[in-house]
Order: sequence, then C-alpha cells, then structure tokens
Amino acid sequence: MAWVRLSEAEKVYIAHGVQEDLRQDGRSCEDYRCIEVETDVVSNTSGSARVKLGHTDILVGIKAEMGTPKLERPHEGCVEFFVDCSANAAPEFEGRGGEELGTEIANTLYRMFNNESSLDLKALCISQAEHCWILYVDVLLLECGGNLFDAISIGVKAALFNTRIPKVRILEDEEGSKEIELSDDPYDCIRLNVENVPCIITLSKIGHRHVVDATLQEEACTLASLLVSVTSKGLLTGMKKVGKGSLDPESIFEMIETGKRVGKAVHVSLQEILNKEESLGKQRQKVGFLG
Amino acid sequence: MPGDSRRIRGPEESRCPLLYALPESPQAPEQARTEPRPLYARAGLLSQAKGSAYIETGGGGGGTKVLSGASGPREAERRDGPGLRGARLVCEFRWAPFARLGPRCGVGTALERELSLALQESLEPAVRLERYPRAQIHVWVLVLEDRGSAFASALSAASLALADAGIEMYDVVVGCALSRGPGGCLLLDPSDRDEGRPKSGGCLTLALMPALNQVCGLLCNGEWTEESLSQAVRLCMEGCHRLYPVLQQCLVRATKRKISVPQSGPA
Repeated sequence: MAWVRLSEAEKVYIAHGVQEDLRQDGRSCEDYRCIEVETDVVSNTSGSARVKLGHTDILVGIKAEMGTPKLERPHEGCVEFFVDCSANAAPEFEGRGGEELGTEIANTLYRMFNNESSLDLKALCISQAEHCWILYVDVLLLECGGNLFDAISIGVKAALFNTRIPKVRILEDEEGSKEIELSDDPYDCIRLNVENVPCIITLSKIGHRHVVDATLQEEACTLASLLVSVTSKGLLTGMKKVGKGSLDPESIFEMIETGKRVGKAVHVSLQEILNKEESLGKQRQKVGFLG
Repeated sequence: MPGDSRRIRGPEESRCPLLYALPESPQAPEQARTEPRPLYARAGLLSQAKGSAYIETGGGGGGTKVLSGASGPREAERRDGPGLRGARLVCEFRWAPFARLGPRCGVGTALERELSLALQESLEPAVRLERYPRAQIHVWVLVLEDRGSAFASALSAASLALADAGIEMYDVVVGCALSRGPGGCLLLDPSDRDEGRPKSGGCLTLALMPALNQVCGLLCNGEWTEESLSQAVRLCMEGCHRLYPVLQQCLVRATKRKISVPQSGPA
C-alpha cells in the first residue's frame, strides 16, 4: 500500500491528538472526511460510481453479463469482485505489485456480501440453471489517501444503486425450445434493491482510542484495526481484524458499537445523496474527472 | 490410463446431485453448545521441520485433523519493505485436496489465500519478530480432514509449531470457532454439518492470547445483530481459555521428550 513513513515524534503527536478527541485535520474520532460521490460516470458500464474521500479516489464500474448459474445455486445469479490497484495510486503497484492488496480487498468484499440479505441474487436469475446475470464489479484505485475499504464499499453501493440491467423475457415455443428476448425499449430495465448492501467501517486503534476514516498518517500509527460491515438497518454482515497488532476484548465491543452507529449514519447520508442525484435526472451537470 | 486432459469426458450438462437430495429432516430444536469439542494436540512430530504440531478435534466418526510445521529463522529473501527491523512471518494455509466433503477442492483458491493472510496477521502479534532482524520464519498448515472449525484448529496448530521450533513468543495463540444455528442459538466449535447449513446465520473465528487477554485475530461472516455478535465473541474467548491448558500440556510434553533424548545417548 502507499505507505508514509513517520518519525516517532510525529506518531506521538497524532496519538496525543486522538487521545484528546482532536485529530490533525480538526475532526473528532468519529468524524468522516467529506465524501464526494458521483454515479453514472462511465457510459460503457451498466452502473458506475466515483468516490472521493480526502485523497482517496475510487472508480467502480459494474458490467452485467449473461452467464450460467453456479452448479450448487441454480436459482441465483452471482456477483464477482475485482480490485485493480493502478500504478497511479502508488509506484509500488506497478506491474503485479498491487495484486496482493487487490485480492485482499476483493476477498473482503466477497466475505461481507456472502449472506442472504445483502443482495437479492435470485432477482438476477433469468432461467433456472441455464441463464443468469453475472455482475462484474470492477474497482479501480486511482489514488490512495487512507481508508480504502470504506471508500470502496461506498463506491460499490453507489454503483449498485446506479446499475440498470436490461429486461429480458423467455419465450418458449411448442417444441419446448427456449429463446431469450431483449426488450426493445432501452430504458426498460430492472434495478437492484440496495437497501441491505453493507458499508464497511474501518476502526483503527490509535493509543487507547479508535478512530474512523483514518488518513495515511493515522494508518501509519495504527497497529491493528477492525473492519465492520454494517447494513442500513444496523445488522453486521462481517468483521475482520487487519494489521499486525492485537486488540483488547473490551475495545472490540466498543468498536462494534461505534461501527454500527457510524455505519448507520453513513448509510443515511449516502442514500440521501443518491436519491437527490437521481431526482435531478438528465439536467444534472456531470462533474467527471476534472471536478 | 493417463487421460487426455484437454478432452472433457463428462456430460456436457451436469447438475449438482445435492440439489436432488431430500431436505434434511427437521431435527429436534438445537441446543446451544458452549463447550468446544475434545481436542488432541501433539507437538514435535515431524523430523524434518524445526517445529511441528498436529491437532485433532471432534473425535468420534472423524474429526478435523490439522498438521502444521514451522521453519526458520533464516535469512530473508526479500530485503525491502518494513521487514528490515524485524522478521517476516510467512504463512501458508492449505486444504488437502480430499479434505472436505463434496468434490475435490482446488489448490491455491482465493479462500486459501485469504486465510493464509488472516493466519499471518493473527500470529504476528504473538511472535517477537523484532528479535530476528532481517530474517524470515515460515509456517505452513495443512488441513488433512475438515470436519468443521478447520481455521480455528489451524491457528492453534501453527502457534504450537512456532513454539516447538523455539521461536520467541509472547503467548500461545488459541483459535476457536463459533457458528450461529438456524434458530439463533450459538454453537461453539461447530462441525462441518453445522457450518454448511444453508440458512446458518453466520460463522466467527477468533484467535486469542489467553495469558495476555488480547484478541489477535477475528474473522466473521453472516448476519449478526450487535448483541449476538458481542455474545459470540465472549463465548469464543471462553472456549479459547478452555483449550489453553491442553495446548500448554502438549508443549510441556514435547519439551520433555526433547530433553530426554540426549540423556539416553552415550552417557
């Protein structure tokens, strides 16, 4: 990952600030940086979103392709995650350097989406055991400024909200042979229910307290952090400890509680923004990549 | 007869046979289980590895069998990155191809890579890496038979192997798993039947250093409420504390065996 190197004095300064609930940029321990979200930024995708969180810059594109359902789940479509760490984000990512981080993030996303309620995969099935929609979620890391997991999960949720899958019908003739018919109207689409799509909240332990949305400098002071994935209803769909440190049991319970509270708030404001953007419709001025 | 690997000799279309199996008969309402299954541990059984351990849990009718080995410290191959000040811990977690029910599982799957990383991050807090600058320590874990809670056993086995190899550590890492049954009851140390239920609410694996009371690894999926998750973490910690003496005794036995060998030599 794009690391920064800090001297001991800088680390002590950050840790003391966190102790006093006042961080370098003036935030308190449970404050996020300003998040910018824009959907429908790439025209060649079924759904896309771009998220800027401080200096972290994420582009998510979703392509829906037709495929065959998995053998053990014939009634469901599937979602595939792929995270690409561009060398623009950090020179270490050049060549295959970003692969390790990319698979780590993709595996975490699989883990957090691996439950019944996150996404209604049954809605992606076209005909049982024969055809289904496969959603390829491609995450592109354009810039690293700390807190990748949260930014990526927000981007994935926004892109899933934006995703439109063309409506298809199955026609069956007398001999029983089936044919897939695509609707003539390009605006005739199905949309996904993203109500239960989780967001990941990373809680980084600094000193005796934990902070959300750590910057790169703060991440350098963190020995262990806890990823908690929270749905808008406050259900937890996954948890994972990352980093080379260990955690006190009591602080884990506190972190779960904070994660749930902060996660719910993030979901509320994200949904509000997405709805607002949607209501603007075609008149919305696209910011794109120059904003 | 060596087959032509390029030719697929199976039928073009196939279905999973389990889909046609009769649905499981509704069992008696499940009891919450708060005790881990019996565990057998033995350290120092491989002659070629510097340290090794074997753990078997579950017993009757086939249990989870995990074999682990450790080697090092040896000179690091990669000299870049943050490993300069302390040793690099390299972990590998694998299932044997025949370890699980159902079809043979492939090698190097995404899950194995994820769990290898989780294993590394769970063991790092326990090992005194700063005592071995510019070195690397290898730990590998092979699951011979998976009858549930394989990763939890792997955590314990890997830390036993490290301790047996004489690597300086703060504490032994004990792993414990838990799954939430269909009715919401919590089952400590689930079997593969409990884990594999489709409606199962979720699984949690926790790694604890009992003497220091520090959680060094946590991995969980499924759907949880805050209360059930907190309760699950507490139960797992209790489970780890119960297993701790067994692992300690196993290390003591292994050390005694090692010490007695030179005495029986040319006296």
